[in-house]
Amino acid sequence: MTFALEANGITKKFPGVLANDNVQFDLQRGEIHGLLGENGAGKTTLMNILYGLYQPDAGEIFLNAQSTQITSPHDAIAQGIGMVHQHFMLVPPLTVTENIILGQESLYSSTKFLGRLAVLDRKSAAARIRELSHQYGLDIDPDATVKDLPVGAQQRVEIVKALYRDADILILDEPTAVLTPQEADDLFGIMKSMAQQGHSLIFITHKLREMFAVTDRVSVMRNGKMVGTVAPKEATSEMLAEMMVGRKVILQIDKSAAHPGGTILQVENLRVEDDRRTAMVDEVSFHVRAGEILGIAGVQGNGQRELVEALTGLRAPVAGKVSVLEHDVTHKPPRAVIEYGVAHVPEDRHKHGLVLTFPVADNLVLCTYYQSPFARGIEIDAAQVEREAEKLVNEFDIRTPSTRTLVGSLSGGNQQKVIVARELDRPVKLLIVNQPTRGLDVGSIEFIHRRIVEARERGTAVLLVSAELDEILSLADRIAVMYKGRILETLDAKAATREQLGLLMAGVVGGKHV
Amino acid sequence: MSSTTTTPTRTHYRAVILKMLDALSMPLVAILFAFALGAVIITITSGSLSAALVAYVGLIEGAFIKTRGMSESLVAAIPYVFASLAVAFGFKAGLFNVGVEGQFYIGAVTAAAVGAAFSDLPAIIHLPLVIAAAALGGAVWGAIPGFLKAKTGAHEVINTIMMNYVAYRLVEYLVSNVLRDRVSSAVQTIRVAPSAELWSMASVPDRLADPLNALFVALLIALAAFFFARTLAKTARISASLNTPRSARLFTVGIALASGVLSFLLLPPLTRALWIWTDKFDRLHIGLFLALAAAVFMYWLLNKTTIGFELRTVGANPSAAQYAGINIGRSIVLAMSVSGALAGIAGATEVLGVSTCRCLPLFFSAGYGFDSIAIALLARGDALGILPASFLFGALRNGADLMELRSGVSKHVISLIQALVLLFVAAPAIVRYLTRQKVKPAEVAEAPLTRGWGR
Repeated sequence: MTFALEANGITKKFPGVLANDNVQFDLQRGEIHGLLGENGAGKTTLMNILYGLYQPDAGEIFLNAQSTQITSPHDAIAQGIGMVHQHFMLVPPLTVTENIILGQESLYSSTKFLGRLAVLDRKSAAARIRELSHQYGLDIDPDATVKDLPVGAQQRVEIVKALYRDADILILDEPTAVLTPQEADDLFGIMKSMAQQGHSLIFITHKLREMFAVTDRVSVMRNGKMVGTVAPKEATSEMLAEMMVGRKVILQIDKSAAHPGGTILQVENLRVEDDRRTAMVDEVSFHVRAGEILGIAGVQGNGQRELVEALTGLRAPVAGKVSVLEHDVTHKPPRAVIEYGVAHVPEDRHKHGLVLTFPVADNLVLCTYYQSPFARGIEIDAAQVEREAEKLVNEFDIRTPSTRTLVGSLSGGNQQKVIVARELDRPVKLLIVNQPTRGLDVGSIEFIHRRIVEARERGTAVLLVSAELDEILSLADRIAVMYKGRILETLDAKAATREQLGLLMAGVVGGKHV
Repeated sequence: MSSTTTTPTRTHYRAVILKMLDALSMPLVAILFAFALGAVIITITSGSLSAALVAYVGLIEGAFIKTRGMSESLVAAIPYVFASLAVAFGFKAGLFNVGVEGQFYIGAVTAAAVGAAFSDLPAIIHLPLVIAAAALGGAVWGAIPGFLKAKTGAHEVINTIMMNYVAYRLVEYLVSNVLRDRVSSAVQTIRVAPSAELWSMASVPDRLADPLNALFVALLIALAAFFFARTLAKTARISASLNTPRSARLFTVGIALASGVLSFLLLPPLTRALWIWTDKFDRLHIGLFLALAAAVFMYWLLNKTTIGFELRTVGANPSAAQYAGINIGRSIVLAMSVSGALAGIAGATEVLGVSTCRCLPLFFSAGYGFDSIAIALLARGDALGILPASFLFGALRNGADLMELRSGVSKHVISLIQALVLLFVAAPAIVRYLTRQKVKPAEVAEAPLTRGWGR
C-alpha cells in the first residue's frame, strides 16, 4: 500500500503553546481520511503545515514516499496539494472560469494586429472546467458569475479550482458547515467519486455523523497530539467523542417535558429588509411561550440573521409588529429591548458579541456597565465589576488566566461562555440564541446546551436559531423551518424527523418546491 | 488599556510595571532608530560624520541645557499635550480627528475675543471663563464633523480637513476686521486683560499677593486633592482602614479642605520667600499644570467612567457597541466635541500664556495640530503616555534652532526625525523585524493569513 502523504513526528511550537506534538499522520491513495478534534487541538496547524503556511519545527513530510518540504501554499499546489477553505476564496463579480484561472492565466498572443499584446485564453480553460465538472459530477457552469451561485455551487467551484491545478490531495476544511443536509449528501457523493478516481482527501469536520457517512478512516487529535486512527466501521459516536474530549461526553441532552406558560414573544407579519433593501424576512408570524424552546431551522442566509436583528432592535423592520410581554418593541432601540428582559447570544460572536480587545471582565458587563452596582453616577466601580467577573468566571467555568485577560486571546468555546454568562446573568424573560455552538468543541457545546435547557426550565422563553439540525432536534420543543424569509411550517419536535426537516430546509413542501 | 483594576497585590504591581515597560519599549526603540537614521542622513547630506554629532549635541544643548532651554521645551510641550490628547481621544472612539489644527485656531480666536472682552473681572472668574469659551469654540468646531458622521456617515477625516480651511479663513477675517487692535501697527487682536492671562511662572508670587488669586489657586488645589484622596481611598490598604463609606467620605473631604486651607494660608508667603522661577524672561506658564490635569482627566474619563466605556466600545467594535445598546451617533458627536474642546484649549494656552502680545496675531503659525497626530501615535493614544511624547516633540522643536546654528544642519532635519519616529511607530512590523521581538501567539492566531468571503 502506498501512502499519498505521510507526516512523521510533526512538531510545531508557538510561544507558550505546543500546537503539534510529534504528530503522525498518513493518507492512503484514494482514501477519504477524516480529521476530528476540538478547537485548538492542532488540526488547523497540521493542515497549515501540509499546505505550506507554516514550517514545522521538527518532523518530515513524505509525498508518494519521497521526502519533501512544502514552503508555501504556492509550493503546495505545485506539489499537488489543494485546499478548500471554510471561507471561500473567490472573487464574487468574476465568472467561474475567471476565478479558477486567477493566478494561472494562460495567454495566447495575437500577432496579426496587436503585435505582442497577450489575450486571456478563457475558451480552453472553460472547456477544461466543463470536462472536470462532468468527470466528477460537479455540475458547474464555467460562464456563470460567482456571486449569482448558491453556496453549495460556490463550494464546488473551490473544488474545481483545486482539481484544475491538478491537486492530487485535497484538504476540505469544515465543508459542510454551510450546506443543507441534502447538499452535504451531494458533496459526499462528489467526494466518493473523487476518491474512486484516485484522489486522496482529508476531510475536517466536527460533526460525528458525517465521519460515519463518508470516511474510510478517522484520525482524532487532542491537545496537539494524535490520539489515534480508527475505521468508522469499528467505532461509535460515543467512542469518537471520548477520544476527542478525553472523557465521557453526553451527546444527548436530558430534558423534561415542556410546561409552556404565557406568551412572551409575539411576532406578527414581520417584514425585514437587508442593507441592499432585499426582503429577507417576509410576513413572518410566530410566538414563543415561557418555558419552551422554539427552534428556527434553516440553511444559513434564509433570513434568520435579519429576523434576529429585527427582534433585538438592531435592524428596523419595514412592517409588522414585535411584542415582548405585551410591550410593543417593534421600533425600540437595542437598549430598550434589553431592558424589557431580552437576552441575545448573537450569531457572530466576534462582530457583535464581544469586544475582543477588552478584558474578560469588561465583556461580562458589556450590557449592564451603566447600571447599579457597576456604575455610580458616571463612574464605573471597578471592584464591583471585578466581583461580578469572578463570580461568572467560576459559575460558567470560563477558562481564562485572569479576568483582565483580553477576551480575544481565549478559545472560541470560552469566548462563547463569556457571552452566555453575560446574557444569562440578567433577569431574562426571553433568550434569543443564534448559532450558539458554531465552531465550538464538543465539551463547550454540551455545556452551552445544558445552560439553554436550564434557562427553559426556569421559565425563560427561548428562541433558538441554528443551522445545525442535530442541535435543533435535541433542544427545541417546537421547530419552525425558515426558507427564503418565510416560515414554511412549524412542527412539534417530537414528531419531526431529520428527513422531513431537511426537505423543508430545501424549500420542499408536500413534495413540491416552493 | 484597562478600565478597571483588580485588588492590588505585589504580583499585580509587578505585572503593571512589566506591562508599562513593554508598552514603553516600542516607542523608545522607534525614537532610537529615528535618531540613528537621522544621523546617517545628516552624515550623507553634509559629508561628515562629525556634523551629525555636532548637530545632536547642539540639539540637546538647545533643548535642555542652555539658559531657559528646559523651560522653552516645556512651553512648546504644553499645546502639544492638549492637541495630542485631542487626537488620542478621537482614536479611542475610532475617529481620526485631522481637524485639531482648525479647532486650535478657533480656540485661540475665542480665547483672544473673550479675554479682551472683559477688563475688570477677577482672574478667578475670567480665566476659567476664557478657557471654557475656547473649549466650547473648539468643541463646536469638532462637533460639526462629528454630527455629519453620525447623521449621514460622512467621513470625519474629509470633513475635519475641510473645517480646517474654514477655520483658517474665518480666523483671518476675525483678526483683521472684527477683533483687530486698531492702535497697533501689526495686524493682531486686542490684548487680553491681565486677568485672562495664563500666569508666567515668574509672576506667580506677585499674582498670589492678591487674596482673590490665592483663593483661586487654593480652590484648584483643594479640588485636585479631593480627587487624589478619593482615588487613594479606593486602594486596598487605605480602604481597609476606612471601613464605612462615611469615614471614606470624611477622609476625602478632610484632605481636600485641609490642603485648600493650607495652600490659601501658606502659598503666598512661601512663594514669595522661595520660588525657583525668578527669571522674568522665562516664558514657562501655569498652563503646564493645566496640561498635566488634562491628561489625568482624560485618563479618568476614558478608563473609569461609563462615558469612556461607551466611547472605547464604539472605537473598538461599533457592532458590539450597537448590540450592547450604546448610542453610537451620540458617542461620535461627544467624542468629537471633547476632542475639539481639548484642541481649543491648546489654542487658548498659546494666546493667553505664550504670545508676546498676549493676543492673536494674524501670522500665527502653529502647526501644533498636525504634529500632535504624530505625538498621539507615538504615545499609542495613551493619555499618560502623551506627556513624555509631547515633551520629546517640544524639546525637538525648541532645540532645532541651536542645532542649526552650531552645525549648519537645517532645522528641518527635526521634521525629518519626527517623521522617522512616526514611521517606526506606525510600522511596528519593521521595528519587530529589526529587533527580532517575538510576536505574541495571540497575534499569530489573529493575523489574517487568508481572507475569504462567502457563508
